Amino acid sequence: MLNRASSGSRWRERPDGRGKVTGELAYLTDRYAEGSLIGRILRSPHPFARIKSIDTEAAKAVPGVLAVLTHEDVPGVNRFGIVIQDQPVLCEDVVRYVGDAVAAVAAETDEAAERALGLIRVEYEVYETISSPEEALRPDGRKLHPDGNVLKHIQYSKGDVEEAFGRCAHIVEQTYKTPRQMHVYMETEGGLFVPEPDGRLTVYSPTQHGLKDRVQIANILAVPEENIRVLSSPIGGSFGGKDELNVQPYGALLAQRTGRPVRIHNSRAESVRAGIKRHPMTIRMKTGIDSAGRILAHKVSVLADTGAYATLGGEVLTNALENSLGCYVYENLEIEGKSVFTNNGVSGEFRGFGANQAIFALEGQMDRLAELSGIDPWKLRGINLRKENDPGAYGQEIYPTDGARQVWRAVLASSLKQEESRNRQDVIPDKPWIKTGYGSAIAMMGTGLGKGIPDPGGGRISLAPDGQIEVAFSYEEFGQGLLAALELMLIEHFGLFEEDLRLVIGDTDRVPESGSSTAARTTTMMWLALGKLVPEFKGKLFDAARERARLPSGQLTLGQGGIRLEDGTPVCTFAELAASGEPIVCEMSTAFPESPNGDFANRFLFVQAGTAVRVEVNELTGRVRLLDQYHAVAGGPVANPQGFLGQIEGASGMALGFTLTENAVMKDGRYAFGNLDAYLIPTIVDQSKSMRVEAIEEVPEGDPYGPRGIGEIGSVTLAPAIAQAIWNATGVRVSELPVDPALLQKSPQYLQEAVQPK
Amino acid sequence: MIDQTWAERAAGSKLECEVNGKAVSAEITPSTRLLSVIREDLGLTGTKRSCEIGRCGACMVLVDGKPVNSCLTMAYQCSGKKITTIEGLAGEEMLHPVQQSFLEEGGYQCGYCTPGMIISVAAMLAENPKPSMEQIEEHMSGNLCRCTGYGGILRSIERAIERGGQSDDRG
Repeated sequence: MLNRASSGSRWRERPDGRGKVTGELAYLTDRYAEGSLIGRILRSPHPFARIKSIDTEAAKAVPGVLAVLTHEDVPGVNRFGIVIQDQPVLCEDVVRYVGDAVAAVAAETDEAAERALGLIRVEYEVYETISSPEEALRPDGRKLHPDGNVLKHIQYSKGDVEEAFGRCAHIVEQTYKTPRQMHVYMETEGGLFVPEPDGRLTVYSPTQHGLKDRVQIANILAVPEENIRVLSSPIGGSFGGKDELNVQPYGALLAQRTGRPVRIHNSRAESVRAGIKRHPMTIRMKTGIDSAGRILAHKVSVLADTGAYATLGGEVLTNALENSLGCYVYENLEIEGKSVFTNNGVSGEFRGFGANQAIFALEGQMDRLAELSGIDPWKLRGINLRKENDPGAYGQEIYPTDGARQVWRAVLASSLKQEESRNRQDVIPDKPWIKTGYGSAIAMMGTGLGKGIPDPGGGRISLAPDGQIEVAFSYEEFGQGLLAALELMLIEHFGLFEEDLRLVIGDTDRVPESGSSTAARTTTMMWLALGKLVPEFKGKLFDAARERARLPSGQLTLGQGGIRLEDGTPVCTFAELAASGEPIVCEMSTAFPESPNGDFANRFLFVQAGTAVRVEVNELTGRVRLLDQYHAVAGGPVANPQGFLGQIEGASGMALGFTLTENAVMKDGRYAFGNLDAYLIPTIVDQSKSMRVEAIEEVPEGDPYGPRGIGEIGSVTLAPAIAQAIWNATGVRVSELPVDPALLQKSPQYLQEAVQPK
Repeated sequence: MIDQTWAERAAGSKLECEVNGKAVSAEITPSTRLLSVIREDLGLTGTKRSCEIGRCGACMVLVDGKPVNSCLTMAYQCSGKKITTIEGLAGEEMLHPVQQSFLEEGGYQCGYCTPGMIISVAAMLAENPKPSMEQIEEHMSGNLCRCTGYGGILRSIERAIERGGQSDDRG
């Protein structure tokens, strides 16, 4: 099991740890600049409406107000979006969700800004809200965008599904529904925007890819990219939610207009209203097996509510469909999916990226087929598992992986599974309404952005003038432990010393393009980049040291603080080397490994997870408690044990909320809540029970890819495992998340007897 | 009986209190919250702003040794009180044992809930050095963490209990 004891000296204090436990680490929303103004945003009160007029005169007249901006004041492109730029910075004619921005205000005080917001008069012609994908698809419905209401439609098939269903011994057809989950990063969106004396603009605001933000902000402001510097780490949580722009356009525009620093920090209510969420999906699956349990046919249809704008909705759908096939092999397949615009907020990137929804459905199918056929559910999965050299879900070539079988075996051998097979039932004699049950699930997830999407990597290593070895990547630290993984990798694998290192991230002036911190890609990308950079860098250091010390060619080594002869005799310090000659810099760019073939944005490098759980269902209240959980994760060599464990534990916690309590309920395009009193994420009470994580590190011989990203896979297997455990405990099948307690409440015979004596 | 006009009541007054062992005075209005005095006036940004309705615990500080959500505490209520923020928890040379436990066990990820979490644990252990799991659950259920799934936090609490108020780290 992965824990502190089993990790030995690899369990280390994180480089960013001390600042975090002392409160000294300043987040970007903690920054203040002399003379800062407050920035605020006026958002649409309607889910869907036409703007007839905007009058800002009264707002501009409020004492202390320095700028009131509308669409007319956007000097550049009045649109943003990571892939498709379809979201207005400030709406000109139509508002499409209740978070749409109509005006932005900068004022000396929050009170003045608040007053100004209240005095901006916007006349709307209110349209009927399109509050579901089904409504959006009606032929007579109003279009949200010029090309209609379908953001993306994907179809793929192989073999002859209908013929194969005819040969099936058992067929399960079921519709699954998943919730609109909110990221709930503890730090809401915000930042500081500072016009510099040299005419540049410094943006201190969290994002998952500072260089990408720089491009988007430059386009909006109509200034060259070089005139903008984005500082984007540290971040108080993101989980995908801060990858897309949020407050940056407004802070930047207001700072540009007023020439003064501007601070914006969303209230939680504004974060709820404007922020992206996980896509609610309706997934219909029809799956058939023969009498031996082999899958003969699988049919999938996904309908995703992508909300008002594209952001990464199309990419999420692609990944959902890829994951709707899991780690099984199919001869006959028909999958289809639509991501549809509605007036329900904006759905976008969120840890798991569509896999959470798809795996809940797929694993639900396997459990139902097991029940129908009488085959043990885990054995049924085993019968259909892919083998090491099988192609990917769409037939694309993928890097060989036996991870599916490895995690399947690990789960089978786990104490929880053993306990289940002994059919242990915790019956509490005086509480017969408490039922316990077991469940398990398996998943396989691609890392990287997938074929066809630019997926750059790269990095820089250099000797700084003060003799520190600077290692720079365009990645961000939002808590996942990127810095800790990088530091450990540099020490253990590349032979550098902690004291000599300076890790540089999150500053567009100081980092090369290494791509985004998304899609569980950064650990692998750092590994691949350093594998090329470090040997080259060491070679340059040795050459410089030889030249400086007039040494003949011969073996040198790198020690703490400087270069040494093989016997340990010091040759020179890094500081001396830095002072003595040409700068020593190695930089490279590469790309995340991708499949050489395939039709979609399908992945090449995969990780797998298997999860077993025991839950308790209270049939009086309908409440479910997670009592024990085991996770086996095949992600190659563990880059950083503390981070690995923390990622799986944290992802599981997020999945627990997705399964049992979290749903950003909307009614007619409006959120039915505004804060964490009515949107319930798990507390310590929900997660104080036993949890074990096992890392399976085995990879094919000669593997070049090193540690895989495991930041997302931990969030996809828990929901189906809990659903199966609920069935095991109560006989009730759950097909809609979060689990509705009413479904599990029973009015048992003995209670009826108690109130109605014979 | 109304003995003040609205204007008089809404006008500023002075808050005199002690923050992290130092005497502090700040101009406040009747609606000023302790959170804004700490973050905006004193620049102590270790105390975080998150839900602002007392649900998440990110803004927790000690007022006369008791943990409170500073977003729900009015500044005027703190007159003459001793306030400890995360910045004031460590000693001159050493981290507070709870801070050290969080550091060693990795009881944090993004770190945004961490100051409030550590304040809350420190307050719990000051009152009850050996809490049961039920007591830990009850005490800590007002501190939300979205990153860790509470695993590292529970291990940090366990470690802090073992440590019994002792810190051997010279931070």
